[in-house]
Amino acid sequence: MLLMAPFQSLFQNILSKNRRRHFFINKPLQIRYLVYITSLLFVVTSAIIISLYFGIWGGVLDAFSDTQIREDLLIATRLTQYESARVPQETPSVPSALTFFKQAEKLSLRQREIFKSILDQTHKKLLPSLFVLLGFIAWGSIFLSHKIAGPLYRFDATLKEIKEGNLGMRIQLRKFDEAQFLSDRFNETIETLDFTFSRLKNIVRENEANPERMKSRLQEELSKIKTSAEA
Amino acid sequence: MRKHNFSSRLGLALVLIFFRLLPAVGAAPLLNDDAELLKTIQKDTLQYFLKRSDKNTGLTRDSSQSGSPASIAATGFSLAAIAIGQSHGWIPEDWSRDYLKKTLKTLLHRAEQHKGFFYHFLDARSGKRVWMSEVSSIDTALLVAGALVAAQYFPGTEIEKMAWDIYRRVDWPWMMNGRKLICMGWTPETGFLPYYWDMYNEHLILQALALGSPTHPVGQEAWKAWARHEDVYNDKKIVYSYSGSLFTYQFPQAFIDFRGLKDNAIDYFENSRKASLANREYSLSFRSQHKGYSENSWGLSASLGPGGYKAYGGKPGAGLQDGTLAPHAVIASIVFTPEESLAAIRFFYRNYAKNLYGYFGFKSAFNLDKKWWAEEYLGIDQGISVLMLENFLNDGAVWKKFMALEPIKRWIQLCGLTSGKNPGNENNIIPAS
Repeated sequence: MLLMAPFQSLFQNILSKNRRRHFFINKPLQIRYLVYITSLLFVVTSAIIISLYFGIWGGVLDAFSDTQIREDLLIATRLTQYESARVPQETPSVPSALTFFKQAEKLSLRQREIFKSILDQTHKKLLPSLFVLLGFIAWGSIFLSHKIAGPLYRFDATLKEIKEGNLGMRIQLRKFDEAQFLSDRFNETIETLDFTFSRLKNIVRENEANPERMKSRLQEELSKIKTSAEA
Repeated sequence: MRKHNFSSRLGLALVLIFFRLLPAVGAAPLLNDDAELLKTIQKDTLQYFLKRSDKNTGLTRDSSQSGSPASIAATGFSLAAIAIGQSHGWIPEDWSRDYLKKTLKTLLHRAEQHKGFFYHFLDARSGKRVWMSEVSSIDTALLVAGALVAAQYFPGTEIEKMAWDIYRRVDWPWMMNGRKLICMGWTPETGFLPYYWDMYNEHLILQALALGSPTHPVGQEAWKAWARHEDVYNDKKIVYSYSGSLFTYQFPQAFIDFRGLKDNAIDYFENSRKASLANREYSLSFRSQHKGYSENSWGLSASLGPGGYKAYGGKPGAGLQDGTLAPHAVIASIVFTPEESLAAIRFFYRNYAKNLYGYFGFKSAFNLDKKWWAEEYLGIDQGISVLMLENFLNDGAVWKKFMALEPIKRWIQLCGLTSGKNPGNENNIIPAS
């Protein structure tokens, strides 16, 4: 137990550090995704349940309809009679309890066969539907992930351009892409930076003849900007 | 002129009155011509296989009852019957070829089987085993026999090849379960059935195919091993089957022409003739108890009855009877007892057609005491009727096709049937005690 103590405290430490205090950080986005994923799974499970229900119960209802039961009873009786006829010394003149047992056994074996056949047929029918559903899930996954992957790609590409010194770049997302608010904020930030650098450039250009004035104007402008150099 | 007119009108009126006085029967115009009547019955009976075979698999249902599974024996008869129908031009050749190809393909690739033996009952639509039925030796033999007959009608075709593939696949020695006798069947759940073909019965066709097999033949001892129980009924010494049902004397002989063949002293054709006569005489001995029995109304064979399907039969044998008669039994005996069978067929057709004759010919059975008429047709009854009528009406056409098969010649040679003598081959003949 003593040996376990340091690990326990470390674990608790990690837990407390990573513990989420609020599950809804971005409520609209999370609710939207909750609806998307739940709807997708609902469609898939409904399709499976409906197929199983109609496959199994449809088969069972058909196999155990009044007409079918009557037919099966008659056939069970007939087949038992065939067997008895083949070995006539066992043929009773009056149907005995044994005959009824034989018929009941035959019928129960038949019912087992029917159930097996219904399940086999349902599984066979379900298999192609599962591939369709898998396709549907795959399409849904790509559609949903594209709403996030697209913006991420744009951010990455734009940031690369900015890193190269192109502050004229802006992010344009598609209508239903996620992170619209982030791209707006990002564009505002870049716009501010672009504007600041443009002003600095203008000061340099306008005061080429008067270095003193250029210096004071630049100092004035740069004092408005906080950087890690101050630290 | 006037006189002439009057006399011709009078003549016409007399003819009309004469025809009005005739009893009304279903297909009356054919009654005067036995051959035509038999042909009509054969054609109508054949309809069963056209209507009760699955359109996709070709498998034939065991009975006309709704929901009935396919029976492999009925399917075997169907293959032969369709080939016969085609040979007469009753069924278009293209349709027949398609049907035979489709059915043989199902049997070769889809129908559930084990070691080449088919399950007795199959789902007509899928070919899968149903009702937990057994792999059946006799029913497989009837199927193979039917397939080989069909093959003989289409030599050098895919039909012939597939039929032979089905035959070659059957592992006959496996069905002997290490014994001298052939077992009746096997199930995956319980293994071999406790019943073997140990005495004279319909299994002669099974023996012939198993001994003559080009791929998996059984030894000669299989032919010797089963008992030939003999008994006498009305001065007729008969090697009898345990039920005494007529079908046991008929089924193998729809295919095998036993005329001129002797199994030592036993002539199975003559044996079936005597068994048919004995069957008729046995029912006549009960004519005071049962309304249905008479000189021209006989035929005790396994069939439906008021109490379900039973192995009705005559003596020698169990001799189970309750007044139920099966028309197919007299039709199938027509090659053995032409006069008696024909008289009975005419009688049934003339007197009972209303209740007993339908779209597929004669229904399975009837019982006058209980005023019971079968509503159903059974596939194997239909099959034996078509094949035996073909042998009778068309100079043993099925026999000729079947006896020309090499495996059958091999079986005859192996068992020494031709000469009637087989030195050192003492069959297991058991006289009545």
